[in-house]
Amino acid sequence: MKRPFARRSFSLVALSAATALSVLAACGSPGGGSDQATPKAAAKIPELGADQKVSIVFESYNFGQAGAWTDTFNELIGKFEKAHPNIHVTAQKPQGSSPNPATDTVSSLQSQIAAGSPPDVVQLGFSDLDFAIHSLKVKSLDDLLGKDAVQANFDGAKFPYAKTARTLGDWDGKTYGVPFVFSTPVLYYNASIFQQAGLDPAKPPTTWDEARADAKAIVDKTDHDGVYLDCLTKIAKDWCFQSLVRSNGGRVISENRTSLTYAQPPAVEAVQMAQGLVKDGLTPVLGQKEAYTSFAAGNVGMILETSSIQGTFVKGAKGKWDLRAAEMPTFGSKPTVPTNSGASLFVLSNDAAKQRAGWELIKFLTSEDAYKTISTKIGYLPLRTGLVDDPAGLADWAKANPLIKPNIAQLDRMEPWISIPGVNYIQVRDGMMDAVEKIVYQGADAQSTLTAAQKQGTALLPKA
Amino acid sequence: MTLANFDAPVMPGGQSRTRVVVGHLTLAVLGLACVFPIYWLYATSLRRPNDVYEVSPLPWPLSVGSYRTAIDEINVLRLLLNTTLIAVLTALGQLLTSLLAAYAFAAWNFPLKRVLYLAFVGSWLVPFQVAMLPNYVLLHQLGLLNTLSGVIVPNLVSGLGVLLLRQHLDSFPKELLEAARMDGRSSWSTLWTVVVPNLRAALAALGILLLVNAWNEYFWPALVLQRHNDVLQLGIRSFMSATEGDDWGPLTATAGLACLPIFIIYLVLQRHVVSGFVRSGLR
Repeated sequence: MKRPFARRSFSLVALSAATALSVLAACGSPGGGSDQATPKAAAKIPELGADQKVSIVFESYNFGQAGAWTDTFNELIGKFEKAHPNIHVTAQKPQGSSPNPATDTVSSLQSQIAAGSPPDVVQLGFSDLDFAIHSLKVKSLDDLLGKDAVQANFDGAKFPYAKTARTLGDWDGKTYGVPFVFSTPVLYYNASIFQQAGLDPAKPPTTWDEARADAKAIVDKTDHDGVYLDCLTKIAKDWCFQSLVRSNGGRVISENRTSLTYAQPPAVEAVQMAQGLVKDGLTPVLGQKEAYTSFAAGNVGMILETSSIQGTFVKGAKGKWDLRAAEMPTFGSKPTVPTNSGASLFVLSNDAAKQRAGWELIKFLTSEDAYKTISTKIGYLPLRTGLVDDPAGLADWAKANPLIKPNIAQLDRMEPWISIPGVNYIQVRDGMMDAVEKIVYQGADAQSTLTAAQKQGTALLPKA
Repeated sequence: MTLANFDAPVMPGGQSRTRVVVGHLTLAVLGLACVFPIYWLYATSLRRPNDVYEVSPLPWPLSVGSYRTAIDEINVLRLLLNTTLIAVLTALGQLLTSLLAAYAFAAWNFPLKRVLYLAFVGSWLVPFQVAMLPNYVLLHQLGLLNTLSGVIVPNLVSGLGVLLLRQHLDSFPKELLEAARMDGRSSWSTLWTVVVPNLRAALAALGILLLVNAWNEYFWPALVLQRHNDVLQLGIRSFMSATEGDDWGPLTATAGLACLPIFIIYLVLQRHVVSGFVRSGLR
């Protein structure tokens, strides 16, 4: 009885070892997989043949989210497949267990690349642009299709992309990503609380000094909190913080992206302004989710926020309080520099046929018709802004949704959310936002904390 | 000895009574603190959709609107069936493999027995996250990604199950096994006609524990099921989003529904559940 057991256990061990080796071999080949059809850099990918069948996988962090987004995009993908019967699209969300799938996008791609099965078209945040191009190797659309074809898509049939939006996915003069959905920082406010506090709801604050005074009136005269800036925590990332610093005349990273500059006076002053609001009890000490939930519940006077949360505010306000929106307040007389949140669509596939099919999908999802559907059903800002003035387009929708006005007004002077370079970009960004959070919500000294964080972050930047 | 005298050593004076009262009050407060989030979950799920941000302790007027939205948006019934299927098959698979492995370790002697047993125990001690990527790659090679089988197959063996059943089998009377062998029973027949009937209580307790674990599993399905939210735990997550804001009504409604089967199991099989957790040394 013993010998067969021994033999069996030995073969079990051998089998396990073989499995482990094969797994390790697979793990050790990131980027492995189907690169047999990689086109040369300058070669244009051919059009698909009339009966050439192609299947592509589209990964977006918004899939997996129940309700309007998934329903709308399933509808759009259905329409796309009808218009392109030879292309089959499989939609998926990033793999990962984070409550917010948007934070799983990069790690999901890394593990799928390691497994040899990356998706063909991906939706990635602007903060990941540098990493997406240099590490994940998303494809240059100019190289695949020619600059003219890419620009023709931005121009559209009738309504071009907003001028400031069309270059957000560019790098070194080439377009890699087609901007898809984004927002600029918008000041949402509760007009009902304004009235209770004796403020004029028709006159929202235009400067941070006014916002501070209004917040004080709200705190003094009502039971509500004054103002919350969803720009100052690690979880908020740095898109809105960059905007605050830019609006005060500074930058978090130098223009040539070689050195961090967030310990310079404009950034320090911006953080001190927010710290003052907390110290004086005008900003509640809340995390991001608690804060926007509290605003939706009608407990906070104002919140500086992305319009992607607008749906939550509209639901919370319905029949209970008056939700309005205004442009981001300025620092004194300096004009604001709104930056963008959001994401672009990229082609990741190495296969020419899938690249072409992926491009057809990107063109379809960023078309005028698609934006009409996306804006009316989900409420996102149409990046082809001319649609909001077109009676056959979104004019009626825009009239019924005045909350989009500040976003559209801010688009003209919008500047890109700069992605931090190098493979350590997330640590650099998180280190900066950790420092900001400590200063604003835990009362740390602004100058010394930002200087220390900047020093640590600088060591993590790629060496010139 | 009167009852009062019998009680005397326990509560000799007013001070002890105060201690008992304070102790009970503390336990009551702790109990309420444990129950309150569950109450709040159901209270929120039963508020009208427009009232989910209300903080009144009693949800009034009651509404099933959030449940209706949840059912409309994520097909709760299908998710409930899928989750049940995954939990039951995983638990049964783990129970079977644990039983066979524990029987082998307890009843037979063979080379490398100790090493192999330590390997089983070691697999329990290694966090699943460590083996996550190799498992994922293997599933990809087997073509099991985005399938319910992909969620079940890598979890068919439980180190904890082997460990617990082996402890039970070690204390199983060897004379019974000898008697069965002398009766001419094969090892297989001995397992099913002698061992299993005597291990019923332990198997039931372990089965419940494994079922509850499999039911609550979130991490692995979140990795494997990229294309559809096929289990309740992913259905719950689909109402959460930091980019769009959380939809608390249907989120709490789905979470409330996801808890119900486990509550029912607990109510019906309370003794076995407690025994399962006590035997496993887990709380």
